Amino acid sequence: MNVRALRWLLVPLVVVPLVLLLLHGFGRDPQAIPSRLIGKPMPEFRLVTLDGRTVTSAELRGKPVLLNFWASWCIPACVDEHAVMLEAARSYGSAVQIVGVLYQDTPDGARTFGARYGEPSWPTLLDPDGRLALDFGVTGPPESYFVDARGIVRYKQFGPLTAAVVSDQLGRLLGAAGGRGS
Amino acid sequence: MPRTYAFPLALGALLALAGLLVVVALRPASAPSREEVARQIAGDLRCPDCQGLSVADSNSGSAVEIRRQIEEQLTAGRSPDEVRQSFVDRYGEWILLSPTAPLAWLLPALVLLAAVGALTVWIWRARRTRERAGGSAGPPVTEQDRARVREEAEALDA
Repeated sequence: MNVRALRWLLVPLVVVPLVLLLLHGFGRDPQAIPSRLIGKPMPEFRLVTLDGRTVTSAELRGKPVLLNFWASWCIPACVDEHAVMLEAARSYGSAVQIVGVLYQDTPDGARTFGARYGEPSWPTLLDPDGRLALDFGVTGPPESYFVDARGIVRYKQFGPLTAAVVSDQLGRLLGAAGGRGS
Repeated sequence: MPRTYAFPLALGALLALAGLLVVVALRPASAPSREEVARQIAGDLRCPDCQGLSVADSNSGSAVEIRRQIEEQLTAGRSPDEVRQSFVDRYGEWILLSPTAPLAWLLPALVLLAAVGALTVWIWRARRTRERAGGSAGPPVTEQDRARVREEAEALDA
């Protein structure tokens, strides 16, 4: 009789782990994958900006970099974070370098976006084949990478930047740069 | 179907299935062309900006570029594993559509094995109980029962 009663224990034993597993799985964004780049040098590139200048990864060394993958069709996330980035550009000035990378979008789309939501003071790189996005392991905009003054990737933000994330990460990078006396 | 045939038939079917698996596994494979290799690699990789599609099944910007890079790397003489690894280096295991962890492959087999074991024990015990009870299940069939079955079958046919 005891053994028969114990059989009913099998029900919660099967159901509880399954429900927990499903809860864990459904509560997660499947695109939000941890970056393999953290602690590694940022991929090298040489790309042309929206206004025709050439920017290389090498010339970004020396100051913390906020590299932001975005698109004009990424609404409302990219619009929301655009305001955050405009504010960051104002408050950090030349202490950090903000760089936008256009993700699967046309230059015209980017220009219209700038005219409507505020012209960025930072360069926007064109990545027509998406090669740089692939090298960074981007799954969709917006995605941002915080790179230290030595060119090492320190943090990946999946989804729109917030004022808190920007001040935390840039503060850390600027603090580290100052600590080393560079 | 008489019970006596059930076991040989099941065993025969199982052996035939095993034979099929052996034949499929041992079939001599012709060396795949580079296009086939490229398509296979693309089929193994998850399209980064799609929902549940492989790179081979999508025409998104990323998928097109990944296919171009696969082609480029194969032309440069890299092996399929090296090509796959170059994408794992950037995206992590996430980019692979089938898991590489052995547990993920073994677990279903273990569950199946446990289920077959449990079923065998269950059938074996049910059989023993019946044998102990006198070898036949239920009361003997009388002439009355047979007549009733015939009647009802005819009623169904009508």
